[in-house]
Amino acid sequence: MSLPPILRLIVRNFASNLDPLTIIIRFGQPAVTIIVLGTMFSSIISSSVTGGASYTAFLVPGMVAFQMITGGVVSGNLFWLDRRWSMVEQVFSGPFLRAEYLAGLVLTSLLFSLVGVGIMMLVGLPFIGIPPLSALGVLAVLVTVALGSVFFAGLLIAIGLQLRSANAYFSIQSFLQLFVIFLSTVYYPVTSKTPKVLATIFYLNPLTYAADTIRDAFSGTLGPSDLVSLGILALLATVTFGAAAWAFRRMDLGPIQ
Amino acid sequence: MPSDDVVLETHDLGYSYAPGRFAIRHLSVGLHRGEVLGLLGRNGAGKTTTVRLLTTLLPPTEGGATVLGYDIRTGGRALRSHLGVVLQSESLDFVSVERNLTLYGFLWNIPREVAKARAEEMIELFELEGARKRKPWALSGGERRRFQVARELMHDMDILFLDEPTVGLDAIARRRILRYLKDRARGGLSIVFTTHILHEADMLCDRIAVLHLGRLIALDTAQGLKSKHSGAREVAVTFAAALPGPVRAELVVELTARGATIIEPEDAVSTALDRIAFRAARAEELLPWLSQWAHARSLGIDRMSIEEATLESAFLGMIGEAEDAGDGRGKGSERPENVLSGGRAGGLA
Repeated sequence: MSLPPILRLIVRNFASNLDPLTIIIRFGQPAVTIIVLGTMFSSIISSSVTGGASYTAFLVPGMVAFQMITGGVVSGNLFWLDRRWSMVEQVFSGPFLRAEYLAGLVLTSLLFSLVGVGIMMLVGLPFIGIPPLSALGVLAVLVTVALGSVFFAGLLIAIGLQLRSANAYFSIQSFLQLFVIFLSTVYYPVTSKTPKVLATIFYLNPLTYAADTIRDAFSGTLGPSDLVSLGILALLATVTFGAAAWAFRRMDLGPIQ
Repeated sequence: MPSDDVVLETHDLGYSYAPGRFAIRHLSVGLHRGEVLGLLGRNGAGKTTTVRLLTTLLPPTEGGATVLGYDIRTGGRALRSHLGVVLQSESLDFVSVERNLTLYGFLWNIPREVAKARAEEMIELFELEGARKRKPWALSGGERRRFQVARELMHDMDILFLDEPTVGLDAIARRRILRYLKDRARGGLSIVFTTHILHEADMLCDRIAVLHLGRLIALDTAQGLKSKHSGAREVAVTFAAALPGPVRAELVVELTARGATIIEPEDAVSTALDRIAFRAARAEELLPWLSQWAHARSLGIDRMSIEEATLESAFLGMIGEAEDAGDGRGKGSERPENVLSGGRAGGLA
């Protein structure tokens, strides 16, 4: 059976670059966060701060949203390693288009994120039970994570295209990951007590829009603001994917370190 | 033997990486089905750039080329589907050698069973049995190179581009690979091959293109290059009897007048009076004259030997000539008078 080039590239991305240890760490880290932080802080953080829900119930949608970063980081790293080990050039010398390679990376990211969503929901199940997710809610979660993973994949690929040093790339990636997650509503909400500057920064962060929308989907309270959030995410995803695509067309295939 | 089918033709092909700075310029060369074309040149001569242009990894900035009937600017995937490319840089996936081979087969849409069978064939052919389960980073430099060539041969192709495929290989592995490539060429595979190991090019290539600072300075068979560019070679002549002093002095004068440099023995005491040695640029042309000279003086010649012309001496000669001519990168807009005919070169170059 002949598979389309993009599918062959996705299979190759999974088969060649994702060793079991990486997968365990990528999914294990947020899963452990739910269990450990949720258990530790549920008794400390008042449910009035988290909109009436337990802290674990607040955290699970946040960790679901976090999967869009996990997926984005996976494809950003895949791309970096492919460049470092000249597999980008090798693939481009074969029967593939640059656009297919880029699409393959982004779809790998997307699949990774969606698998992560499933795992986070399973991990959260014993703590928060089955959330009241409607069909629209499920759709909102999937679309949010999909847009978010495209955003982060595009961003990291675009950054990776501009850098020629592994140290620089991985430092920026780690910093970005830390910055994005802690300056969002993944771990804690924006309340009236949140400093204005911090609240503003939170809402410059796409992860905040994703976390809020997923939280609303989990609690069955989706509203017009979530539509705006999705619009913002779609716009940002278009911008970073467009930037990655633009840089891809001009990519220098020369060696990097 | 190569057939008459032309599978690749370049016309004034050029690539500039900055305004006025050319990595390759005015390259006009052709390749026949089943032919092995060698690209020789110093570092930075433009060999890798040429390979990248012809495999569509780089867009030409001037001139053009057709490969298997496709324009390299527009051929894209359809063209690349017929090519095999072994890059100069190591390209690896982070799975075992065996998995790398089958995975590459999968990428090229080779049916699973066929890919498995080919992987076995390549593992045996390239002596990778001991490395089968190892990850690329656990391989030696030579194993990685063998693996990379083996991987490219997992799929079918009409033209194979090999950019320094034998770097780091021991003599036995190198010979084995070259022999295999020669067999494949006899079977109709066309090959473009870059190397710095000149005797490899001599052994494998039907024709050789010599590049220097982005220019094609010669295109011919190895034999043709050797005979035209080998430079000074040593000739040693042993006469049947010792030469009388005045006769020897006359011979020295005559040879010197014909451009030869007499090689004086290091130890004057052991000078054999029946022997003379000299170096000359066109040494082979002096041999008939020398025979006649000896015959005219009734001198018998016991033995006459001429140093073998090597591709290395020819290469050094060509590069020396090009450097003396001041053929600098990016300078010229003039067309080089460098396309030599020899064998098939005339019609195609």
